[in-house]
Amino acid sequence: MKIIKQIGIIFTVCWLSQVIAEFLPFEFPASVIGMVFLFLCLLTGILKIEHIQEKSDFLLGNMAFFFVPAGVSIMNYFDLLKNNGVKLAVICVVSTVITFAVTAFSVSFTMKLMNRRKK
Amino acid sequence: MEALYTSPYFGVALSVIMFGIGVKIQQKTKSALCNPLIIAIVLIVGVLLIFKIPYDSYNVGGEIINMFLAPATACLAVSIYTKLSILKKYWLPIIVGCIAGSLASMVSVYGMCRLFGLDESLTMSMLPKSVTTPIAIGVAQAHGGVVPVTVVAVIFTGILGSITAPLLIKLFRVSDSVAAGLAIGACSHAVGTSKAIQIGEVEGAMSGLAIGICGIVTVLFSMLI
Repeated sequence: MKIIKQIGIIFTVCWLSQVIAEFLPFEFPASVIGMVFLFLCLLTGILKIEHIQEKSDFLLGNMAFFFVPAGVSIMNYFDLLKNNGVKLAVICVVSTVITFAVTAFSVSFTMKLMNRRKK
Repeated sequence: MEALYTSPYFGVALSVIMFGIGVKIQQKTKSALCNPLIIAIVLIVGVLLIFKIPYDSYNVGGEIINMFLAPATACLAVSIYTKLSILKKYWLPIIVGCIAGSLASMVSVYGMCRLFGLDESLTMSMLPKSVTTPIAIGVAQAHGGVVPVTVVAVIFTGILGSITAPLLIKLFRVSDSVAAGLAIGACSHAVGTSKAIQIGEVEGAMSGLAIGICGIVTVLFSMLI
């Protein structure tokens, strides 16, 4: 019963998020609304972590599995990959290095400023 | 013959079995290159092509697995909530880093897509490639991207980030573990985080926080385009 209840809570959050997403005047992923919604519920104490712990461990621990069907649908787009695969790979590599560098430098800089102010 | 693959059980069972094989292979080789998700996708596509099973038949079961994507994304909130104390302590560098990192990722991807002359739908598929898969799928869907291209780009980026993380830390002389952790999480989401956890406790926690926060930031920025 405990697991059923937890599934119920999480699916209700997702269902309400879907409804909210329908009513928003702009496109916003319902899954992200669910994440913000669940976070606020935890923060305000409406939900306690014990209410969803096991189900959430199950979902987070097996996250990668849920992407399998989305990935398999790549077989409908082989032509697209054949024509653009190299470009897409280059984009991934270059932007990964840029993202890493920019994040690391901006955080180091912020940390230095914070430390200086403390002194 | 068709009776073998017309029920939803077929797609679910095939996915579970192939993913299980992927996990076993990764446990044996302990290599980031042997990503269970990639192995499962390759094996399933192989089976469908060899036995000439239509994708739509597989996807009857696939749809059921897809249904768990939104709940899994929502649960990222739990992983942020459990790190609330370090989030409070380092909120400024975390926010600055996630905004700067997400912007750097999106701007560089957008610029290169334009440079290479890729069309609108491919650009939108690539744009969220540094964030965790469920959020990236949401962004791609909302802006007319090709979701499977997004999935492949996200996984590829994740593997890339987790392999090159130690190298990048040395290359850019990142001495601060908060900076290193956030940088890993910002560019290579959950796959990179598993590497960050091995590098250190602070790195792991920061990388984990960056997954959800960069996700939200990326969603917000993508609305401006």
